[in-house]
Amino acid sequence: MFITQISVYLENVRGTLRSLTGILAAAGIDMLGLSVADTTNFGIARIVVREKDSSAAIDALTGAGYMAMKNLVLCAAVPNKPAGLDSVLAVVDEQNLFIEYMYSFNYSIEGNALMILRLTSKDMDNETIVKTLIENGVRLLSQEEVNAL
Amino acid sequence: MKKNDSRIYNPAVECMNRDELHKLQLARLQETVKLVYANVPVYRERMDAKGVKPDDIQSLKDIAKLPFTNKTDLRDQFPFGLLAAPKSEIVRIQGSSGTTGKPIVSGYTANDVEVWTEMVARALSAAGCSKDDIVQVTYGYGLFTGGLGAHQGATRIGAMTVPMSSGNTNRQLMMMHDLGVTMLCCTPSYAIYLGESLKELGYDLNEFQLKSGCFGAEPWTEEMREKLESLFDINAYNIYGLTEIAGPGVSYECPAKTGMHICEDHVIAEIIDPETGEPLPYGSSGELVFTTITKTGMPMIRYRTHDICILNEEPCSCGRTHIRMGRITGRTDDMLIIRGVNVFPSQIESVLLRVAGVAPHYMLIVDRVNSTDTLEVQVELTDEMFSDKVADIEHIRDEIKEQIKSVVGISAAVKLVPPKSIPRSEGKSKRTIDKRQLTE
Repeated sequence: MFITQISVYLENVRGTLRSLTGILAAAGIDMLGLSVADTTNFGIARIVVREKDSSAAIDALTGAGYMAMKNLVLCAAVPNKPAGLDSVLAVVDEQNLFIEYMYSFNYSIEGNALMILRLTSKDMDNETIVKTLIENGVRLLSQEEVNAL
Repeated sequence: MKKNDSRIYNPAVECMNRDELHKLQLARLQETVKLVYANVPVYRERMDAKGVKPDDIQSLKDIAKLPFTNKTDLRDQFPFGLLAAPKSEIVRIQGSSGTTGKPIVSGYTANDVEVWTEMVARALSAAGCSKDDIVQVTYGYGLFTGGLGAHQGATRIGAMTVPMSSGNTNRQLMMMHDLGVTMLCCTPSYAIYLGESLKELGYDLNEFQLKSGCFGAEPWTEEMREKLESLFDINAYNIYGLTEIAGPGVSYECPAKTGMHICEDHVIAEIIDPETGEPLPYGSSGELVFTTITKTGMPMIRYRTHDICILNEEPCSCGRTHIRMGRITGRTDDMLIIRGVNVFPSQIESVLLRVAGVAPHYMLIVDRVNSTDTLEVQVELTDEMFSDKVADIEHIRDEIKEQIKSVVGISAAVKLVPPKSIPRSEGKSKRTIDKRQLTE
């Protein structure tokens, strides 16, 4: 139930992000979601692409000098109504999971908003985290579902 | 510029006839060689390997028969392998940067502390220090020889000594102002920073009593001298030294300000071709080599400083007969002096290896901003260091920064950069970019 995300290290230099989007554009890659974590010194771009595009995206970016790697993250369908996100985060909280980061993206499925979640836990491995979320009613998308967006 | 009241601390020695000085040097060299041959296994083995016995030293020229000593020997024999005296006779340890994570240390007998103190007293006197002076020591106190060296010399002269150590600019200026400090001892770059801060903080220079300063621990230029002399309305003097030999005071400027007189009754200086090791005549530019001839704790035989300069034996207008060395114009290795601290790229490499698990490509960028040296360490990210989590990357960066501070002793800005973004050079890899303009 994991989906592939691409993380890219960004120097805090004018034009870095534009250069990144230019590279992906030239490689004909469609970004489904993007979030940029920024600090005063550097940033990390986190990008969701379809599975067929992920290796090409990594190759294009590393070929152009970027530090880029694939990570596994969760994509949760969140009811698109008041308290929708709250119901998901309630599970995260009750299960003592930590949110390393999360972001939403511009697609929806079955009337649900989509959120990317990177969760960690002191005593659960990633597989157990997934199992726990599903058991507690969180709807997670598969890579195939993301590919079909 | 204020009136110059420079004096000669020990005229009998500092103005000694050169023939007499040479006799004194030879006798002391012979003693030292006997001492190390008898007590320091490394020296004995090396002399045996070259087929040299202490008795072969019959003239000062014979010094060229002796093997060289390098900083790596201080590392390999760390901490006490080069001692020529029993440990119980050592009263002081001072240290400086090694080429790896560990510092190198030097052991001083009471005699050695005395020798070193005399050297600094000569330097401070040449810069005008007497018992009526108030001397602010703004070099760091500790293993670094700057603080304690200047302190001992000023105390020996009988001056009122103010042990400020480094840092805290506001407090430095306040004490300088309130106590009526007349002499300042610190690195020239920090002195310029103090001078500029003095104006910025709204102090009136007329309320200061400063008349001269002894500036060293890093190379500086005539332009910096002019700046210092005008900023503070003082005479600015250069002082040179290294822990392996004693500390500051091994050589020092007189009012002629045309090179630093070497304390030749305590050390023998040579200039060699750094490639071949052959001695070069006075006046040639080459690597400076010192042999200590009065130290008993950790004597140094033909210690290669890796500093490049010239030696000048022309008589000096000040009356001192000891030869002068010119400003350091470069290094034969990759050592950098940043804020008075010796830094080797290999030290940074050892930190990266420890923190990052691998030795990533890196570059040191040294600059001088507002009279203060800055060090930026650019480190190329490796797969092992990169993460999708900001905290992981910040942790690695902060860990590198902290370890550099701990190993090298100075703060650096650490910048993680993408792989292969640091230019590769053909052949010998270039690890540093020094943007400071320090050589005329």
